[in-house]
Amino acid sequence: MLVVLAFLTIDSLDASRAGGRQVPDYDVINQHIGYTYDWSRRLEVPVIGPAEPLFGRTYSLQEASGLMSFGKLVIQSRACMDCHTFFGNGAYYGPDLTKAWLDPAWSQIWMPMTGSSTREAAMVAFLMHPDQYPTWTRRMPNLHLTRAEAQAVVAYLKWMSAIDTNGFPAHFGRIQAQN
Amino acid sequence: MTSAALFATSAALGLLVLLGGAYGVLYALGAARSSPSLTGAGYACYAGQLLLVLVVCLGSPLASLWKLFMAVSGVVYGFIPPATWRLLDSIHHNQLQ
Amino acid sequence: MYRSQKLALRYFIAAITLFGVMIAAGLLSALYYIDPALLYNVFDFQMAKILHIDTLIIWLLMGFIGAVYWFLPKELGREVVGIWVAELLFYVFCSAVAVVAVVFVVVQYGGSNEFSMWFINQGRKYVEAPRWAAVGVVAVVLTFVFNVTATAWQARRITGVLGVLILDLVPLAVLYLDAFPKITNMSHDLYWWWWLVHMWVEATWEVLIGCLMAWSLMELMGTSRRIVETWLYIEVMLVLGTGILGLGHHYFWIGTPQYWLSIGGFFSALEPLPLLGMVVHAVYDAGTHHMKTTNRPAFYWVLAEAFGNFIGAGVFGFMMTLPQINLYSHGTQWTVSHGHFAFWGAYACGVIAIMYLVLQRTRSAEHFDSRAWKWGFGLLNLGLVGMVGGLLIAGITQAIYERAEGGSTLQAFVAASEHPWFRSAMYARFIFGIVFALGYFALVYDLLAIGRRAAVAAPTQAAPA
Repeated sequence: MLVVLAFLTIDSLDASRAGGRQVPDYDVINQHIGYTYDWSRRLEVPVIGPAEPLFGRTYSLQEASGLMSFGKLVIQSRACMDCHTFFGNGAYYGPDLTKAWLDPAWSQIWMPMTGSSTREAAMVAFLMHPDQYPTWTRRMPNLHLTRAEAQAVVAYLKWMSAIDTNGFPAHFGRIQAQN
Repeated sequence: MTSAALFATSAALGLLVLLGGAYGVLYALGAARSSPSLTGAGYACYAGQLLLVLVVCLGSPLASLWKLFMAVSGVVYGFIPPATWRLLDSIHHNQLQ
Repeated sequence: MYRSQKLALRYFIAAITLFGVMIAAGLLSALYYIDPALLYNVFDFQMAKILHIDTLIIWLLMGFIGAVYWFLPKELGREVVGIWVAELLFYVFCSAVAVVAVVFVVVQYGGSNEFSMWFINQGRKYVEAPRWAAVGVVAVVLTFVFNVTATAWQARRITGVLGVLILDLVPLAVLYLDAFPKITNMSHDLYWWWWLVHMWVEATWEVLIGCLMAWSLMELMGTSRRIVETWLYIEVMLVLGTGILGLGHHYFWIGTPQYWLSIGGFFSALEPLPLLGMVVHAVYDAGTHHMKTTNRPAFYWVLAEAFGNFIGAGVFGFMMTLPQINLYSHGTQWTVSHGHFAFWGAYACGVIAIMYLVLQRTRSAEHFDSRAWKWGFGLLNLGLVGMVGGLLIAGITQAIYERAEGGSTLQAFVAASEHPWFRSAMYARFIFGIVFALGYFALVYDLLAIGRRAAVAAPTQAAPA
């Protein structure tokens, strides 16, 4: 069994490296990302669309990689995973963040609330001062993120939403289509 | 999967294992106390488990691979309590000699 | 008594203390669900949660280590080699745990830099402890491995149980090295994180508690060495056979290939089968040895272990492990329900059983019984079943309303969490948490008191004769 696991590990790590079969490269943050039902696989898959700059700019692969590395450090240092889940792993007090970038709440609730013109600007405004933009009784605490830290987290969430998670979470695309 | 099917299937799967456990416990109790009625109750639980396997195979939206797995493991459940009991008895018996 | 056994008792005291901290932090975590404004921006949910799950790991680990230090000199008939290092490291371990806890409570989290990772909070579930403390855990585990192997070497003796234990401790130490890296790619991060979490909890710990239970059954019921070793070998084979690839059920949704849905689903669906065998074994032992045991608390806790493991890991696990269902249940309170029951059944009950076993030896009481242990046993198990019941209802509510119908967005998450079923379930969880905490106090009282009165009474009764 260990030998089988070793082979599967080699293949899985290759498929899930940035730029592998399941996980896009970090510079995918320069493109539009969607999530739709794939009839041949019978599950929802991310769809990488045309160019869609993040924070009004296009990142080189090297810049994007640096941003992701920093974003992950922010995520670990603030222990995001002890309230939220990533791919459903973590704690269950806050919502799952796997496809958080695609959540309609950014445009429906936080863009008007923060007076932002783009989704990423609303996300940054919220992440920097979550206590100022409450939407529910369970409020996110203020984790004292700087603008650079908040931007890195937003970029990280955009990249994560482009990962092929074998259809998890289900029906996210369907709800989007309705909206 | 619809939410009703999700709930029903999951409950059936849980109950299936629970009935398997009840079969194991009752069978073993029956064997320990040489009580045919307890052993009989154990077999009744197992029959209930097989019935549930049938229900899951015919009525649930699970993929056919999992239905096949259910059917095979349903049969395997039947053997585990008597086989375990016999194995335990033979080890203990050898030990006493 | 060997020095190693005195050390075991100290480990048990530390373990039971941390068990109490775990319960307190758990109750606090449960309270946030009822009153989300609680301690907002002062001490938020994530810190209570961290304390809850990290003390869970540490108290069980301390219980295991203590148990091995208890059984080892008996097994080999000699003092543990290098016992002074082990004694020293016990205090280092306790101090480190205390320092980390204080940092978690006071500092909580740091900035986005390596300093935070080394000294404040690593923010990876279960391994949040900063790296310096992780170095400490590795040092403790390595010393532990050294103690065990060096003692066996010096004694020029190896038994089946001991051999399995030594082989098991190596991966236990090696896997913990995964507590250090900061991997940018979340898919890779979680891939290796599950090696640590799953392989510790569902492989190395499983074998470790198997070894401890083997020794315990020999003591508790006088089961022969050949029988327990045969069972231990069967268990190791099952762990190697199903547990290792059972890892695959964590790889359904983390960005790994789709074949894991079949592999992980298959191997974890096999899991109830060996557990059924264990239940039959428990009933067999109960039937054969019930009348002979002089340690009823330990005996009942061993039974609770077998049944808790079957229901928590077997029944609850099977309800949610097939990918088609897991797609909706994964990452909800349903997982929490399964986790609580399985940890309780597989490990906590076993560690408590061993503590009772050890106390009977240290207090040399003829009549090792009390009323308090029944209260502790009853309240803890009732509280646990109530908590997992509440969490199960909450989780199913989420699976239906947030996932299957709602589409997992923020609004769907809020709608499910505001659903009356979810809210009532959270109250139920808290109330049963209080019941559980009362059970803990009864347990602690009993661990302090059981067997003492009888030990004092015995000589007075003997005097006239």
